[in-house]
Amino acid sequence: MFKKIPSHILSAAALCLLAVCAVVVLAREFTGMWQDEPIYPGPGVSAVEKLSDYFPRLKDSRGNTDIYVLDSGKPGASMLVLGGTHPNEPAGFIAALSLVERCQPREGILYVIPRANRSAFTCTDPQEAAPMYFTIETAGGPRVFRFGSRATNPIDQWPDREVYVHASSGQTLSGMETRNLNRAYPGLKNGNFTEQIAFGIASLIREKDIDITIDLHEASPEYPTINALVSHERAMDVAAWAVMYMQMEGMQISLEVSPRNLRGLSHRELGDHTDTLAVLFESANASQGRLRGPMSEELIVKGVDPYYTLADSYGKLYVSYPASGISLSERVARHLCGIEQVAVSYNESMYPKGQVDLGQLPGYSQLMSEGIGAFLAPPREL
Amino acid sequence: MNLEFLYLMVMLSVFLLAHLLLRQPVSLSMVLGAVAASLVSGHGIPLRHLFEGTFTYIDTILIISTAMLFMTAIQESGALAAMNAAIVTRFHKYPAIMLILLMFTIMFPGMITGSSTAAVLTAGAIVAPVLTMIGIPKAKAGAIIAIGAIMGMAAPPVNIPAMLIAGGVDMPYIGFEGPLLLISVVCAVFTVLFLGLKHCKKLDLQALQAQLDLEAGRKYGLKLYLPIALLALLLVMSNAFPTWFPQLSTPLIFLICAGAATLTGRRFPVWEKSLSAMDTTIPVLSKLMGVGMFIQVLTLTGARGWIVVSCLSLPQVLLYAAIAIIMPAFGAISSYGAASVMGVPFLLALLYTGDQITIAALLAFICCLGDLMPPTALAGNYSAQIVGLPYRPVLRQCAIPFLVCITLALVYLQFTGALAFLTP
Repeated sequence: MFKKIPSHILSAAALCLLAVCAVVVLAREFTGMWQDEPIYPGPGVSAVEKLSDYFPRLKDSRGNTDIYVLDSGKPGASMLVLGGTHPNEPAGFIAALSLVERCQPREGILYVIPRANRSAFTCTDPQEAAPMYFTIETAGGPRVFRFGSRATNPIDQWPDREVYVHASSGQTLSGMETRNLNRAYPGLKNGNFTEQIAFGIASLIREKDIDITIDLHEASPEYPTINALVSHERAMDVAAWAVMYMQMEGMQISLEVSPRNLRGLSHRELGDHTDTLAVLFESANASQGRLRGPMSEELIVKGVDPYYTLADSYGKLYVSYPASGISLSERVARHLCGIEQVAVSYNESMYPKGQVDLGQLPGYSQLMSEGIGAFLAPPREL
Repeated sequence: MNLEFLYLMVMLSVFLLAHLLLRQPVSLSMVLGAVAASLVSGHGIPLRHLFEGTFTYIDTILIISTAMLFMTAIQESGALAAMNAAIVTRFHKYPAIMLILLMFTIMFPGMITGSSTAAVLTAGAIVAPVLTMIGIPKAKAGAIIAIGAIMGMAAPPVNIPAMLIAGGVDMPYIGFEGPLLLISVVCAVFTVLFLGLKHCKKLDLQALQAQLDLEAGRKYGLKLYLPIALLALLLVMSNAFPTWFPQLSTPLIFLICAGAATLTGRRFPVWEKSLSAMDTTIPVLSKLMGVGMFIQVLTLTGARGWIVVSCLSLPQVLLYAAIAIIMPAFGAISSYGAASVMGVPFLLALLYTGDQITIAALLAFICCLGDLMPPTALAGNYSAQIVGLPYRPVLRQCAIPFLVCITLALVYLQFTGALAFLTP
């Protein structure tokens, strides 16, 4: 009456069913990253805008990120801080977030975009085996943050071309850079999704006539540009003084001029295509490096990695890597101190538009001793 | 014993056990190796990592699949046979020139796309019947195609490993043309003459014509070549004029041209032939997915870091040995992965020994050779498939040219300062 189903069909059907179950379970896990972690605006935040206010095409897309406006009420200069350009470089995001939660400017106006590439927060990078989340303990309990990708989620922009051609210069890069926000500046109105995000940020800078733009990054300890401030040539005098102040606080930091032939980066293109003084900070992050040992949440937060310490002993790194690691707190402290010193340096220079005073920020040594968790808002229902 | 080394040994042992003793396919053996290392390192069965790892090669898988459809279409339409006839008839009197021109033909798609797979599956498929027809044994013909495709991948203007290495140290991809062209052309010419010349010194056109399929060419004329011309046009235009030419992406270009081939020559059962083309390519695609899982767990457990740091700890002489051995060997997983994971630290280790662009170009060249390494061996596997042989005999024929390429790259690495005139 019924034909016997061949065994290879049965086993294929069983495997397909197993695959479907795995996909359902994993889809829930992956889509969990689509939810933004809460940011608790502090008393300094006067408004929360959207990037689509400056480039409406981004509305209803994952490129539409929050812009926190911290207006002192006192006229002065303006500063933009970009965090989360690369969400696998968490110090940039956490430093920007802590500005939103803690900073109260006294003069001028501060704009903060903690998730510059919001789409890149929603996925991880294949082959990197990174945890999806990491936790920071605060006074009021743990806060969980996403450890995202260097590049825009392929769901938002795909496929990549074999070779990425930077629109305004024609420079060619590996196709993997097609979704890298920090190779897409100054952006392109009708370009790909990532180029549109870059265009939105450049539009904000133009429309608000922002005086200083600071892009916060991290790099692997074997990368030559590390513990550095990279500056567009127009910002060199401000950057040079800021570096000197940071060195006086005991930080190892170098000043690098933005290469003219390396295109698409914020410090080069925003400096060339807008009037802003564009600089970029790099700190040393073992969790994105090639030499790292086992990948874990602990590596992201504590930064302890015996292989980097070993590589340092062989003289293969561009930064000293102690056995105690380079913690997230230390990396955030560097960024916050750097932002503060750029503001101080700008204020002491001869720029005509007034000053930007960021108020009382936690100091480098204070952050190092108490940890970044002490300065983040405790988790609460929004 | 170092834990990460232990995890690496577990991965490799389980892989070899499953593949050689239990006779499981390479892809499944790699999954088993990855799961075993993950269990031993305390990560359980890392479903998410296994799944995520497979996505490493999603673009490559699409290129391979669509290229196979294109290759089948031009084969069935008669375009391949007609092109072979034209090449042999025109160049049979000058075998050395013919071989060198055929080698450049194999290289061309790789130069444009940066992919050895694309070169093997397009130009390689066109040239393979010509090589065998003029008397070159199949294994040697496969080796010529495999190495030619890799030389195409290494040659400028598009060398993706070089872009990855340069990007890793913020070096713009400028000035790489000279060193890449020098080494890839020298190695390509050597390979094709070394493997092919002695078999085709005296070509008898009359005997060859008996083997040629002249019918398709006579019946359909130039129309038959339209899909190949369209492929070349679309690939060149989209790479040469990226700002105004529509970006169709390589898989779509292959599909468009495969579609065109169904209209310009002999009629053939498209669905049936497409299914059979996909059947032949699935084992390689599954290998890629297995490799993706393998490398993800390699990173998760820290074994990748152990490998890289161990290489960097070597003294200068052994460092060159590691470059010659580990980078191509890593290509067994992925030549792009080798460039990104190994190429950048090696470049940093050699940074002050000579001209930086030339060093990066030569390291990228060595990475490209990884496409010959089993189990993935993208160039080797597909060229063997094209000439109708298993991979092993083709690999044997690749051995001497491969060693010459590596040796030449190492010699050049010693003199990068003197070769700096090749860069701007």
